[in-house]
Amino acid sequence: MSSLRAELRLLRHGRDWRGRARVPRSAQRWELPENGDDFPTAWARTAPARALRTALQQGVLKPVVWSQTRPVVHGREYLEGVRGPAIFIANHSSHLDTPVLLGALPRRITEKLAVGAAADYFFDSRATAAATTLLFNAFPVDRRGSRRGRSLAAELVEDGWSVLLYPEGSRTVDGWLSAFKLGAAQLCAMKGVPAVPIALRGTFAAMPRGRRWPYPGRPRVTVRIGRPLRIEANETVPEFRTRLVRAVATLWAEDDLGWYRALRAAADDTLALPTGSRRALPTTASGQPAHDHDMAPWRRVWESTRPPANDGPHPVWPD
Amino acid sequence: MGRPGFVLDVDERTPPLLMHEGEGFRLERLPLGSRVIYPPESLPGIVDLEGAIQHALMHPQGSDPLPQLLRRGMRLTIVFDDLSLPLPPMRTPDVRQRVIEQVLELAAAAGVDDVELIAANSLHRRMTPAELKRTVGERVFRAFHPDHLRNHDAEDPTNLLHLGTTAHGEDVEINRRAAESDLIVYVNITLTAMNGGSKSVSVGLASYASLRHHHNVHTLRHSRSFNDPPHSAMHHSYDRMADVIGGQVPVFTIETTLNNAPFPSALRFLTRREWEWNLTDQASYLAVKRSNDLASAKLRRQIWQATEAPYGVTGVHAGAPSQVHPHTLAALHRQQLTEVHGQADVAIFGLPYICPYNVNSIMNPILVMSLGLGYFFNLYRGKPIVRQGGVAIFYHPMRPEFHPVHHPSYIDFYELLAETTDPVMLETKYEKQFATDPWYIHLYRTSYAYHGVHPFYMWYWGAHAMQHLNDVIFVGGHRPTTARLGFRAASTLADALELASDTVGRDPQISYLHAPPLVLADVR
Repeated sequence: MSSLRAELRLLRHGRDWRGRARVPRSAQRWELPENGDDFPTAWARTAPARALRTALQQGVLKPVVWSQTRPVVHGREYLEGVRGPAIFIANHSSHLDTPVLLGALPRRITEKLAVGAAADYFFDSRATAAATTLLFNAFPVDRRGSRRGRSLAAELVEDGWSVLLYPEGSRTVDGWLSAFKLGAAQLCAMKGVPAVPIALRGTFAAMPRGRRWPYPGRPRVTVRIGRPLRIEANETVPEFRTRLVRAVATLWAEDDLGWYRALRAAADDTLALPTGSRRALPTTASGQPAHDHDMAPWRRVWESTRPPANDGPHPVWPD
Repeated sequence: MGRPGFVLDVDERTPPLLMHEGEGFRLERLPLGSRVIYPPESLPGIVDLEGAIQHALMHPQGSDPLPQLLRRGMRLTIVFDDLSLPLPPMRTPDVRQRVIEQVLELAAAAGVDDVELIAANSLHRRMTPAELKRTVGERVFRAFHPDHLRNHDAEDPTNLLHLGTTAHGEDVEINRRAAESDLIVYVNITLTAMNGGSKSVSVGLASYASLRHHHNVHTLRHSRSFNDPPHSAMHHSYDRMADVIGGQVPVFTIETTLNNAPFPSALRFLTRREWEWNLTDQASYLAVKRSNDLASAKLRRQIWQATEAPYGVTGVHAGAPSQVHPHTLAALHRQQLTEVHGQADVAIFGLPYICPYNVNSIMNPILVMSLGLGYFFNLYRGKPIVRQGGVAIFYHPMRPEFHPVHHPSYIDFYELLAETTDPVMLETKYEKQFATDPWYIHLYRTSYAYHGVHPFYMWYWGAHAMQHLNDVIFVGGHRPTTARLGFRAASTLADALELASDTVGRDPQISYLHAPPLVLADVR
């Protein structure tokens, strides 16, 4: 007879703190339809909930995140012209992304911002769903698209809410950019609202999948906000999506190449962009773009956790 | 509508999987790349079961409606499957009760007075009055027991009738009352594909003289599998016998199929896919497992044996046996069939606490063998789950425990295994001696003992698997007992795979049949 501890360890194996196991790949085809989008979230957009959320975000969340990491935010000025709803899109590599972004964006935006959260992850238990909804004004997003037509995002935009979406659909496993799903671009096209590209760097190194708290040492995190983009009259949704990917990749590359060289690389089409199942790193240490198929898994993680070149105090004397 | 069965490839996301092991269960981590054959999810039961039964009786397959077959002054015999079906026993009212009551209502309306009800227990032990009452219900029991509701007695020469022989020279000898009836109404539960059809009357009411023609090593080695009737020599023999019976007495059969709900809601985790266990399921698992492990062996057995299955009925078909059975099998396949591509080098089976022969009893080592190498190994259609020369790993404690009342001949048979485990040797040297032993016959007829020959049949049940496999390993098996049966014991799965590596190498393809609930692997 095994000990209770051994039994518990076995039972907990492969499950997260809520007791959830990931669906084995071969079982995904037979996954039960999620009912996360049945969870009511309208209450979180009422005035008292908004007031409480602002207090929590500004009084607790941001101080905690800022004490554990060193966020550096660029491009806030591009948001001055944003009035009314917009779709904020960012790359996604960590649970730190949303708290960092909510701290980085101006309050006038975050007060009217809803965050798309995976229905199968954040809305599978009522306690988690309620906490996520209150703190982040989250709404469920079906990642597999079977209930796309019932997404709340469009309704929220109609009601004047900006929406934060992670078009990759899930946190990256190795810090690299994955291909964007069409949903965000489609939403912009449907509602005629701008998309604001944002690149987040350092969150993967600070708190990758499997971590529940950032690594010690206040790792640096960079938030680069780009100019709002609108779908052109003669542009298709897939083309707009490609433009969004390129915009995020360009912002991403700024850490390696600097602002102007990143723009030049984007113009010359020398940044690596994720396509289909191929993930990409727009730039690497050598300045060369790379796709995941070209590198061993450890090298991919190595590259994406490489500290930014200009981390730390500037040397007084040049080399 | 439940999801279909499927084959899981164990990857790094796969949580530990549930494994039955006798009166217990455990979680087991299978090697990456192993395949797990899951049954289809339980189908919804028929809501209006009374209506479905009535419809089946009024619109039978290949027969006139039942009321037209009933007339005043006729001899009507209602035969029903015994307590070996279903497993675990279903929550009352049993579907047999529901069917029998409707048949009797029609018989009463037609003015039939001469009605007998017989449990088709063949060489199984007699059902106790309480078990009979549970199966047929209070009203039927009170009206017919003990004179007109009884067990079949396969050793009462005055109450057996030799109906003739088949073209293959097989004796057909069945219950005299049934054979001399104007109509046999057979009430069946088809739990696995081997049940029902021609088997019902030709086996359930037969004598040893008749059964020995198909319950033998040769026939069972050519029944591949006995859950695939078209490829089962045993079923071919049943069919031939059924033709002889059908030529002399009309048989109206009512076959029912059940869904995959063998456990009550408190044990819901036993039927859910492990990665879908929520916190309640995990807490239930932990609580039930710990309580089960801490309980005394006696209490544990009492609790498991008291388990009642909340089965739903998925199909009711009535009429001529040969016409009805294809519909029954189709309904069963809808619930149990899972397609599997390719055979494995190693098959893993977790054996549960119950088999057809230990209801309200003890599963002795010979029954464990029969359940594993007989029933579970044969849960395939097409090809066996494990390749020729492969290894089967079973989970069961295999303790040397016997029920002295129910299984007296098993105790003596167990001693024979010290001499040989070869089914052919046992058959030729000892079968007749056990089958004709007056003491065993006396116990079978007057007590509640399985027939003296029954342990032999159980051993033959595994003859095909024994011939097919190179090695059989019992994880957690009692070593001396396992060795007595000619198998090997291992403490853990890792040890078992280490033992198996002599036969299948270090990197075998593993398939785990995730049952119960029952799944029939359609191996392509």
